[in-house]
Amino acid sequence: MSAEPGIARPGATAIPAPRTAGVADGVDAGRAAAAVARISDRGARVVAVTIALVWQLAIGLPAVLAAWSELAAPLVVAGGWLLVTAVGVLAGVRLLHHKPLPAPPLAGLLLAVDVVVFAAVGRPHLFGPANWVWGTLAWFFVVILWGRPVRWLLALLVAHASIALAAVALYDANSAADLARSAMALYGTSSLPAAVFAGATALATLSRSRAATAATTNAVVAEREAAERARLERRERLALVSGAAGDVLTELAQGRADPADPEVQRRCVHAAGRLRRLIAESDDVPHPLLHELRAAADLAERNGLPIDMVTVGTPPPLPARIRRSLADPLTATLADARDWARLTVVAGPDEVVVGLVTPDRPGLGDTGPPPEDGDGQVEILDERDGKIRWTQTRWRR
Amino acid sequence: MDADALAAMTPGRPVGVAIVDDHPVVIDGVRAWLATEPRLTVLATGDDPDEVLRAAPEADVVLLDLRLHGRVVLDKLAELSAAGRRVVVYSEHSDPQTMLAALDAGAVAFLAKHEGREHCVATVLNAASDRPYVAPALAGAIVGDSRPDRPVLSDQEREALLLWFQSMSKASVARRMRISEHTVKQYVDRARIKYTRAGRPAATKAALLARAIEDGLIRPEEIGIYRSQASTDWPTP
Repeated sequence: MSAEPGIARPGATAIPAPRTAGVADGVDAGRAAAAVARISDRGARVVAVTIALVWQLAIGLPAVLAAWSELAAPLVVAGGWLLVTAVGVLAGVRLLHHKPLPAPPLAGLLLAVDVVVFAAVGRPHLFGPANWVWGTLAWFFVVILWGRPVRWLLALLVAHASIALAAVALYDANSAADLARSAMALYGTSSLPAAVFAGATALATLSRSRAATAATTNAVVAEREAAERARLERRERLALVSGAAGDVLTELAQGRADPADPEVQRRCVHAAGRLRRLIAESDDVPHPLLHELRAAADLAERNGLPIDMVTVGTPPPLPARIRRSLADPLTATLADARDWARLTVVAGPDEVVVGLVTPDRPGLGDTGPPPEDGDGQVEILDERDGKIRWTQTRWRR
Repeated sequence: MDADALAAMTPGRPVGVAIVDDHPVVIDGVRAWLATEPRLTVLATGDDPDEVLRAAPEADVVLLDLRLHGRVVLDKLAELSAAGRRVVVYSEHSDPQTMLAALDAGAVAFLAKHEGREHCVATVLNAASDRPYVAPALAGAIVGDSRPDRPVLSDQEREALLLWFQSMSKASVARRMRISEHTVKQYVDRARIKYTRAGRPAATKAALLARAIEDGLIRPEEIGIYRSQASTDWPTP
């Protein structure tokens, strides 16, 4: 079996390398920032769910069981406890999976349990730990309202406080001490959940806006880099163009060059070839190298040179610099060519060989190919054997 | 042109050629090319391979246009090759896939129509003696073959094919590679012979391979049988 790993990759498609790699970086940074925000929010969710359930199990349940015989309606109190725990578990699971919660019905349910438990707990345990709704319910509010505006939580806490105060009033616990205990209990059990909720909301908003800002900043930076790169490329091409055509045009304009001189004509043809290739270089086409070579071949053909261009295989995506090194020496030779030319391309994923064969003739200017080459990645060969002139450029990965 | 091809020919009897093409003008053109070579004689022509071969069953070489009446006749090519007919395919389709498919089907040689005049006589003479002839377009197709199960070529064989494809001059290739023209031809032909193991078996492929071994172009172990080496380690059931 043929086991050359580098060459045994059929069907390589040539996609031009993205010119603005920076844009991708920007998007990635934005995405990373959003991920950070998501992770920190998830941490806060875990904390809220844990506090609610642990409080319910570790403080609420033992107190209810300890005071069981003294409660007015112990089964109702326990039933409410079970219901709230179930709501807490359900809401917690959905919250941790980032699934939306039906907040209004759950809030209604919690408030209903609030009323029922206050009624069922009885006067002796009104302020006791067995009246678990005092301390725990606020944490469940936090769980079911996660991610919603803080005012919703405040509204629920106010409703909770109203129920509690109404119960206190209805139980006729109007002494100054009882009112103070109510106020203390409400303040003590509401302030911490409210603070956690508000803090988490603020953090989430902040990190979201940070992420958005980071993404925007990165996008702007990437765009600027892309624009800068495009500008440099344009300037580079302009320099190449003036290098290609500037001198001969200047000399013609100043009368120093004679249009009848074959050497001047050759330089003009060469300059036209390079210009045509440079124009083709900025076209957005699937196989830029073949496109650029075809452009050069077209021009030679229009100048009356019968040219045969044969391509085997598909070139991989190559940077403009390499394509330039592959095509330019051939453009130079084409300018000298007479009678016929054969341009061949053999391309694989790891190697591209471009060959140009034209008849050799005496008196051919020994101009040779331009010295530039893509950091030694492109091997240039220009030979004459009396019969043919053979220019070959070869890129290897 | 290649004098080696004459070695196995019976002196006195010219090579009989049948031409199958659905364009009379092409038949006339090919006939004119072959007429320049006294060692060749055209026995029958027509647009149906079966009829042409009924008219000239003794034809040594069949020149077959790959597209007859709008249909690519790879299946007919395979049938003729399996029956031992030496078929030289010529086609205006010179894309590498078509050329390699023709080789796989058992064609002795492939000529792109645009390179016919230069290479046609040499190809037919070589085909008649079961010897390969690789025209530049086919060399390009072989050197650019990227199919995973393609035969393994040596670096020299690849380079010779590549340069032959580029320059269409074996003398120039020889100068470039600093080897003799004969060696260039050997490299190119050896690469071609390796393709006799690709695709389905055909009598013509066997004949090409046998002649190549007989000529000393390739050793039997070089061509190998394309079977996984790992399979020999497996326990016999």
